[in-house]
Amino acid sequence: MTFAFPWALAGLALAAVPIVLHLIARREPPTVLFPATRYLADATRLHQRRLQLQNLLLLVVRTLLIAAVMLAAAGPRWPRASLGTHSPTAAVLLLDNSLSSGAIRAGVPVLDGLKRAGRAVLALASAEDRLWLLTADGVPRAGTAAGLAGMVDSLAAVPARLDLGVQLVAAAALLRSADRAGEIIVISDFQRSGLSGGRYDGPVTALRPPGDPPANAGIAALTVGSQPWGQDGGTVAVRVGGTGERARSVSIATEGRPARQLLVPVGGTATHRLLALAPGWRTVTAELDPDELRLDDRRVVVVRVAPPARVSIGDAGAFATTAVQVLEQNGRVAAGAEVSLGTLGAAASVVLPPADPARLGAVNRALAARGSLWRFGDPAITATATDSGPWLGRERIQRRYRLAYQGGAPIDVLVTAGGEPWVVRSGRTVLVGSRFEPDWTSLPLSAGFLPFLDALVNRAARGELVHLEAAPGDRILVPDRVTAIVAGNRRWPIEGGSAFRPTALGPYFLLVDRDTVGSISVNPDSRESDLAPASVAEIEALWPKARVADLERAGAVAFRAGTTSDVRGPLLVLAAALLLVETILAAGRRRVPTR
Amino acid sequence: MVSVRPRERLDLLDPAEVARLGGIEVLTDGIVEGFLTGLHRSPRRGFSVEFAEHRAYQPGDELRYVDWKILARSDRLYVKQFEEETNLRAMVVLDTSRSMGWSGAPGSRLTKLEYAKRLVAAMMLVLLRQRDATGLITFDDAVRSVTPPRARLGHWHQLLSVIHRTEAGSQTAAEPALRMVMDQLRRRGLVVFVSDLLLDRDLAIKALRFLRHRGHQVLVLHVMDPGELALEGPAEARFEDPETGQHVTLRPSDWAGVYARTVETVVLDWRMACRRHGMAYERVTTDTPFGLALRQALVRSTHVA
Repeated sequence: MTFAFPWALAGLALAAVPIVLHLIARREPPTVLFPATRYLADATRLHQRRLQLQNLLLLVVRTLLIAAVMLAAAGPRWPRASLGTHSPTAAVLLLDNSLSSGAIRAGVPVLDGLKRAGRAVLALASAEDRLWLLTADGVPRAGTAAGLAGMVDSLAAVPARLDLGVQLVAAAALLRSADRAGEIIVISDFQRSGLSGGRYDGPVTALRPPGDPPANAGIAALTVGSQPWGQDGGTVAVRVGGTGERARSVSIATEGRPARQLLVPVGGTATHRLLALAPGWRTVTAELDPDELRLDDRRVVVVRVAPPARVSIGDAGAFATTAVQVLEQNGRVAAGAEVSLGTLGAAASVVLPPADPARLGAVNRALAARGSLWRFGDPAITATATDSGPWLGRERIQRRYRLAYQGGAPIDVLVTAGGEPWVVRSGRTVLVGSRFEPDWTSLPLSAGFLPFLDALVNRAARGELVHLEAAPGDRILVPDRVTAIVAGNRRWPIEGGSAFRPTALGPYFLLVDRDTVGSISVNPDSRESDLAPASVAEIEALWPKARVADLERAGAVAFRAGTTSDVRGPLLVLAAALLLVETILAAGRRRVPTR
Repeated sequence: MVSVRPRERLDLLDPAEVARLGGIEVLTDGIVEGFLTGLHRSPRRGFSVEFAEHRAYQPGDELRYVDWKILARSDRLYVKQFEEETNLRAMVVLDTSRSMGWSGAPGSRLTKLEYAKRLVAAMMLVLLRQRDATGLITFDDAVRSVTPPRARLGHWHQLLSVIHRTEAGSQTAAEPALRMVMDQLRRRGLVVFVSDLLLDRDLAIKALRFLRHRGHQVLVLHVMDPGELALEGPAEARFEDPETGQHVTLRPSDWAGVYARTVETVVLDWRMACRRHGMAYERVTTDTPFGLALRQALVRSTHVA
């Protein structure tokens, strides 16, 4: 039972007034000398018991009368679920068909039970209800109960993660758009890892499968280190996550090579070196032996295999020169004329501002002659820092030149500093706003300097863009100049700078015209592998008004907000009846009984 | 002080007001005078007559009452007049128990005993004036005084002194007093039992029946305070019997109806019991004017009309 004005319940204390008055009245009354007391004794002997009963009844009736009036004043609402009916309401059915719902429990997919509960809930809905269905894709679908039931039937487990907290906020926004009170019905396996997100104070019916989930392991991570790999190959690291104690067998495979088996303990990491790969874009796959949840047993990563860039060093400064030597010693670069570092060369170039500012005009003229759309502009006065991104983390910048784009909207900005371009690319020419000197930037003194320089000469200067990692459903901002995305036989024409949302697992390739310039490795969110459910206390901690029940009780607990009725009327009728009874009893007490 | 005009009849005034006018002796005389003024004396009353005086003959007088001796001596016609005389012996039995000393409105209403004392005094004076031998027995839980019946008018003062001395006693036991009546009334007579009847009814009726069987006329004069007829009091009270200590705690408003019905039943039971055994019963409340009460009592006794 809920109350519209719970503070009025304090008035229930008034119900004690008749009892208190009764107790006060029980104190010793005054003595009256009365010779005809024997007549009184005769009179009361026959009626005393009846009068005592009447008095007791009167006390109870008066107490109940006050209690009924006070309860009515508090505006009580009583659940009507047992009646199978509810007043028109709004409801959002949040059905979790995320990756974890594909797990098998007792030979049956968890999703089947969730769908069955969803249909049971929708069967209770009436034509007057406003209904929405929210699933792991986050797209709200409005419809009738029958229509949504059809959608529920067609649902399949998707490899995406569902954050219950985030989706609950979205569901609450839907409810607010309705013109009536409503509730959110969450049907999920309630993974603890999926219960992130903020608190929600509205009414929630949480339905979850009974029992414990099966043990499950999944490929939590597959990493390949710095790219591109040389033709001598590289090292793959695979980490197995989830639950279970025994080590799992993992197959590592890439195109044209037989799979190699690794034994990796759950929670542990194993490495494997892939040798002698031909240049190009390779997909490396790590796969577990099948278990109760298949969708997280496979993971892919795209590897670019290319010979190390042949670098010639111009006016790059001592720190860059030393870094290139280190990279050369590690086989990441070689001496040659493929990429010019420091000054504008004949081929690909990484151009730094000249140490002598007097030469800046000559550098800009050379860039113009090369057809580059970027120029070195005015020196920036204030110190700033780089903005974190896929190429570089946060580094301090003391000196820099502003980089000016000569066309319309600037494109091919790789790194920004204080929101302004700091590393840009135009064709195969990369411009950096600062020299790699400690009095210009802290970058040459940081651990990220070598990987950044590696990426500049091996990838950026060669026209390569990014290697991205994503989960299904993630929103990805496509780099500038990308014209299409390809996955297997599917091709999505796209405009650089727009968003792309992959839905299936596997490798995606970014194309500029016919050239592959980057990749997106789409893999499950590793958090979905941990099937451990949240406890009722954990659910109620985040959602204080949640009512947690097993899936089988879906029909009994759903539409809780709409299945309450205002019981003020019945209470007032009861009060009126009690008042009538009180009047009759009080009058009966005063009436002369017949002997 | 209540002022009474000379021609005002004391027997019809409020008993409490009358009581404030003076002592029993004086007031009783006034009450009886007033009472007798309102009566029509019957020449047939009594079973013997006694010469009282002569008066001049008037046309219409019966010739048998002409005193022929005076006619012979003085040649004048006188007729003899006769005073009624009776050989009735009356015994008043007065309850002086503690319950009789109660008044429902002290100060404005006489106690039952004070009322009964004045009523009994008036009644005895009427009887004595009729030449009836009148006696008095007072009792509570035992016989307290016995005044044998005498017909002399001077006996009145002896009775009055007993009445003066009478005060409310303790508990009630009527049988000894009624047995004492049999010792005092050898011949048939009149027994007036004055009580609030808060006693053992069966024993009292048994004793009264015995008197009746002995040929006595019996008049039961039930004295009640108006406060005993209707139950009143605070919201809740502990009612205690001053004689027995018996107590009942209740809310008078709850029980007023039942109590009134019970009192009616008690009165009816007494009335029926008396009628069944040929006894007269009269209920008198202490707010009834003495003249009315006296009339009710004496009419019932069949001795006075």
